[in-house]
Amino acid sequence: MRKESFDETFLARWVAGELTPEETHAFKESKHYLEYKRINEGMDLLEIPSYNHEANLAKLYNTIDTKANTTKVKKLIPYWVYRVAVVLIVALGILFFNRTNDYETNYGEQEIVTLPDNSKVYLNANSILDFNKNNWANNRVLDFNGEAFFDVEKGTKFSVKSEEGLVEVLGTEFNIISREDYFEVKCHEGKVKVSTLNENNTTTTTILTVGDAFRVVENMVEKWKFKEDKPTWLDGESSFKDVPLTQVIKSLENQYNLDVNSSSVDLNKRFTGSFTHNDVKIALQTVFGPMHISYSIDNDNTITLK
Amino acid sequence: MDKKSVCEKKNYEIIFNNYSESMRNYMYYKCGDLQQAEDLVQDAFIKLWNNCEKVIFEKAKSYLFTLANNAFFNEVAHKKVVLNHQKLNLKVSTNETPQFILEEKEFMAKLTRAIDSLPPKQREVFLLSRIDKKKYAEIAEITGISVKAVEKRMSQALVILREKIGNV
Repeated sequence: MRKESFDETFLARWVAGELTPEETHAFKESKHYLEYKRINEGMDLLEIPSYNHEANLAKLYNTIDTKANTTKVKKLIPYWVYRVAVVLIVALGILFFNRTNDYETNYGEQEIVTLPDNSKVYLNANSILDFNKNNWANNRVLDFNGEAFFDVEKGTKFSVKSEEGLVEVLGTEFNIISREDYFEVKCHEGKVKVSTLNENNTTTTTILTVGDAFRVVENMVEKWKFKEDKPTWLDGESSFKDVPLTQVIKSLENQYNLDVNSSSVDLNKRFTGSFTHNDVKIALQTVFGPMHISYSIDNDNTITLK
Repeated sequence: MDKKSVCEKKNYEIIFNNYSESMRNYMYYKCGDLQQAEDLVQDAFIKLWNNCEKVIFEKAKSYLFTLANNAFFNEVAHKKVVLNHQKLNLKVSTNETPQFILEEKEFMAKLTRAIDSLPPKQREVFLLSRIDKKKYAEIAEITGISVKAVEKRMSQALVILREKIGNV
């Protein structure tokens, strides 16, 4: 008999009071019910240090005002000058200095972003990119989430920070996928250094050269070699090698703005293959066909797997 | 059309009052250091102020939590998240025997130790749910994962806690 005979979201739904009467009854009869009940009730007795809104807001304003006042130039220019158009000096104040550029692709969208040093970032669907334009040459750092291909000009260290990992290079081409619980880096040219955080809070650093691929799935590291010199998704086709089905489904959702209902399917199965960006029906068939999963297309964008 | 500007102090303060506490708690659950958590929140709000012209009011929450999630990657230190049970002392009525009270305190100690040993991803979801009382949809927004993933992590946390407490 399986150890946990309830599905993987069962306990969460119980805590939230979302179980059906039948499910609740079954749970109450189960072996560990009382233990879970005690844990849940114990949580009601716990709290963390309280948060002082006023004090923190005051501290924030203090820092903001201090920063605004440290520019010597501002003190020398009389107030009335701000009303006069032009004055570039004012524009150089702190308000502009930390200005960041923010790019975001929607479902099914792709975008090419050219950075100030002519490096290029090709964003795949449903991805976010954020960086500070000023002082770019000396500080090439980006915040990122989603999937993108980076074509980096030689120069100072180029860093891409995302929740799942940190990628640093000097001048090269690489593809990063950083989505929930899935982190993959493929080096298409040059050399790439990847840092990921382990469960015990130590860091693992890996160096990739041309043709090396690296990924972390459910806290396990996998490495392999690949041949393409550019990712296929740039040419209208997403391809996967031994990728967990969850990730493939997410890519389908991102590309076609779908909502896939997959609760009755084992999402840990691995998929090797690809799907086109140009036809949703063919795309679905090429993914679920080989996996022997049948599906129905409900209303416009909902797919249910069986 | 009514476009709220984040650069207006009144709107900026609305954002602050709505999200700064959640953010601080979330950061605290991640690193276990109250000061560090508060500093990270301050940093994020300063960035927001400096970019107030670029951020749409309705997107401020996602902007802030994305900054928070990314900024955190480089923070390696993890201290213990301190959970107090002041409430326990208040809830105990005079009818309970000293034996019972002692048992309760021991259980709570086991519970807080077990929580601290949870893997980071499960711990943050679990605490956001049971201490901050956030609904799974909101936790999904804060952590940037799907509701289903939140529910999975929540359930995993409970299983691990039960196993840890059961074994002591």
